[in-house]
This record gives sequence, structure tokens and C-alpha cells, in this order.
Amino acid sequence: MNRNTPSDVDVDADAALEADPPTEGVDGTDDDFEAGAQYDPDLDAENEATPCSYTDYRSGETVEDLPATGEGATGVEAAVWDALYGVEDPEMPVSIVDLGLIYGLVVEDGHATVDMTLTYSGCPARDMLQDEIRETVADVDGVESVDLRLVWSPGWTIEMVTEQGRSDLREFGLSV
Amino acid sequence: MASAESVTADDLSADERDALEALLLRLADDEFVLAERYTEWQVRSPTLESDLALSNNAQDELGHARLWYDVLEDLGYEEHELIYEREADAWRHSTLVERPFPGGDWADAIVRHYLYDVAEKRRLEALEDSAYPKLADRVGKIQAEERYHLEHAQNWMERLADDDADDGGRERLQQAVDRLFPYALTLFAPVDDETEATIEEAGFRDATLEELATDWASEVVPFLEGLGLDVPIGEDDVLDLDPDVPRGRDGDHTDAWADLREEFTSTYRELGRSGATKIMEKPE
Repeated sequence: MNRNTPSDVDVDADAALEADPPTEGVDGTDDDFEAGAQYDPDLDAENEATPCSYTDYRSGETVEDLPATGEGATGVEAAVWDALYGVEDPEMPVSIVDLGLIYGLVVEDGHATVDMTLTYSGCPARDMLQDEIRETVADVDGVESVDLRLVWSPGWTIEMVTEQGRSDLREFGLSV
Repeated sequence: MASAESVTADDLSADERDALEALLLRLADDEFVLAERYTEWQVRSPTLESDLALSNNAQDELGHARLWYDVLEDLGYEEHELIYEREADAWRHSTLVERPFPGGDWADAIVRHYLYDVAEKRRLEALEDSAYPKLADRVGKIQAEERYHLEHAQNWMERLADDDADDGGRERLQQAVDRLFPYALTLFAPVDDETEATIEEAGFRDATLEELATDWASEVVPFLEGLGLDVPIGEDDVLDLDPDVPRGRDGDHTDAWADLREEFTSTYRELGRSGATKIMEKPE
């Protein structure tokens, strides 16, 4: 589809990222109005200044143990985590691990199993991102085969983003 | 999570596999075909915001269709076979979603959007505890995205029905309700009675179609009436289908479906494709 939405974060997630917009200058005091204008609180209440009807942004619940971040991993698994940290979201300079997309990683006898999710069911970068992750993991010394499993439960929310991820997204210009 | 999944397609009896397939095709096909129709509004919606919103809904529905087609792969199908190579009469969507929009009528798009999304909400709730884990696992993700759709539809319904606007909005809504309501009832039409019974006995869905239809009507009818609209509903049984309206669920569709399918499969056929398109080839 010819759309300019970010490839990996849908409009809803964007809305969540932009929750709590700055409210400077619209605090309802007379200072906000041109000199000479009459401030009529009743009128204002009637014509509530809501350019967008969406003011209720859901940020989601924290899920224990998610996202997986590889903390405490050793051996080949640690090396795979290092490699995964190097994979970035296709549209934002944030690692897919810090974005909270990786739900689990197990390496047994050279076979790596990765559980991951996507922020958005309609993510157009799905195939591209999955291919990149498979190749990245397969390139790690000690990994012979990769099984990448896409899971949807629990659903990704903004709460899955790590502190590092939040910092990277803020640096990018998103208020999280 | 996938690792917690216990029941798989291999554990099912032949009848249960058929029932699961029927359930999934219904879910996937509704979403896919509705998205095809929504995209017709791209760059044609009344305002930039409504254009973006409906386009985003279309993308959501395509994503949801894909989640269900993914599960169908457990039953031995591939996505490209299901979308581009399946015969028209093997599609199981409700005829509500395949109807063309008469003369660029935005009210038609909004009424359809509303009637469908209330049904979708009830249908997903009935899958939350599905005995087939891959069904239950996907529901939460879809619900989170569908909530916005319903809010969007209701918001537009209210605006179009606004008395103060005095611009004929409500008349258009009424015409769309009269036109679409008989088709909306096919959302609750059975594939066949045996299949529905198996879907329920296997615990794939924890409500009957009659229950879903009743719940749907108990939300939709008061809402429409509250907007000053008449609802063309029978006194006794909301599932009273007009015998002249093709149900879709049984493979019987309106002529508009053949045209729509012809259109979205034409490039695939012209290029002689035999697999789904990838955006880019892997680099050497």
C-alpha cells in the first residue's frame, strides 16, 4: 500500500508515543487570548478545543519478563543477543531488542529458536525484518540453524520498550 | 506465546480440521475483502483525515487477514493460494463486505464499517478462550486495533446523523442502512449446520452464531434508532435472512464479488506469478 506510515510502528502506536503533548499556552488563562478578546468560559466549554477527538491514548500494561533482553545470557546465546541488538527497526534508529520485539531466545546444540512479535499486525516490513533477523542469527558462530517464530500474545505495547529504547526514541524526536 | 501452545492442527480429527478451516476462512476473507473495498476510498475520501483513517483501517484489516491466513498454513495452505489462486465460489466472506459503493456514497462506507465492526467485536470476544491456542493468541492484538475502528465508525455515524447539519446526511444513512442491513445479517449465516456444531463442540468458538447475532442486534439496533434511523428488522428472529440475498458463507456471492476478485488478481495472473510478491530480492 502506498502509505507513509512508519514501517514498524502503526498509527495507534505513534499516538501512544505522542501521549501527553505539551500544553503550554493553552492552560485556559486569559493570557492565552489576544488582548481585548472576551474570554467566555461557557462558550469555551461548549466549543471544546479538541482538534483531534483522540485524547485517550492507551499505553498498555507491563508484562512481567517481557521484553526479553538477554540479560545474564552466556555462551552462544550471549553472542546471538549481541547480534540481535545490532538489528534496527527499519524506520527508527532503535534496536529491535530495545523496541521490545524479542520475546525469547534459546540456543540448543547449534539450533536457535527466536520468539518475536511486531508492533503492528499490518506491519509492511514483516518479511524484510524477519529475513534480516534470521540471517543475523545464522551468522553467529555456533549457530547452525534458526527457527524464527512470530507470536502475537501478549500483544506488544509501548511498555515493552526498554529504558535504552526510550532514550533512543527520544533522541529521534518522539516523546516517550 | 508460541512455546505455550499445546493443541496443534495434528491433534484434530478430520471434522475438526474442516471446522477450523471454515472458521478461519470466514475470519480471514471478511477482513481481506473489506480491506479491498476500503482501499477504493484512498485519495477519494471526503477529507484528508478520513482518507488516512480509512486507509489505515484497510491496512489493519489486511494485517488481521494475514494473521488468520497464517493459521490456515497449519492446515496445509499457502497464502498466495488462498488469496490469488482460489476460485471465487471458495471464498467464505459475508456478502456485506463485497458490495460496491454506490456512486461514491460515503454514508454507505460508514454504515458498512459500523455494522461490520460491531459484529467483529462480538466475534473476537467469542474467540478469546478458544480451544485452538493460535486463535486465542491472536485475538488480543486484533482487538486492540479494532477498538479504534469502532470508535471511528460511531463518530462518523453520529456526525452524519447530526440534525443541525441539515445536509441530507441522515437520509443517506437511512438509505445505506436499508440497503446494507440484509447483507449484514449474512455475517451470522452458517457455513452449514454440521460445521457450526463442530466449531462449538471443539471449543473453537464459545458462542453460537445465533447468540452473536442477537448480541450484535442488541447493540446495533438501539444505536441506529438513537440516531433517528429506522432499522429494517423482523419482529421475531434477527437471523431471518432474505432468501434473495446471497450469504457468502456458503460460497454463493453477488456479481460484484466476481468483478472485485478479477480486479485484485489480474496483475498476479498477467505476470504469470505462482507465489506471493516480495518487496525486494535478497542481495547476492
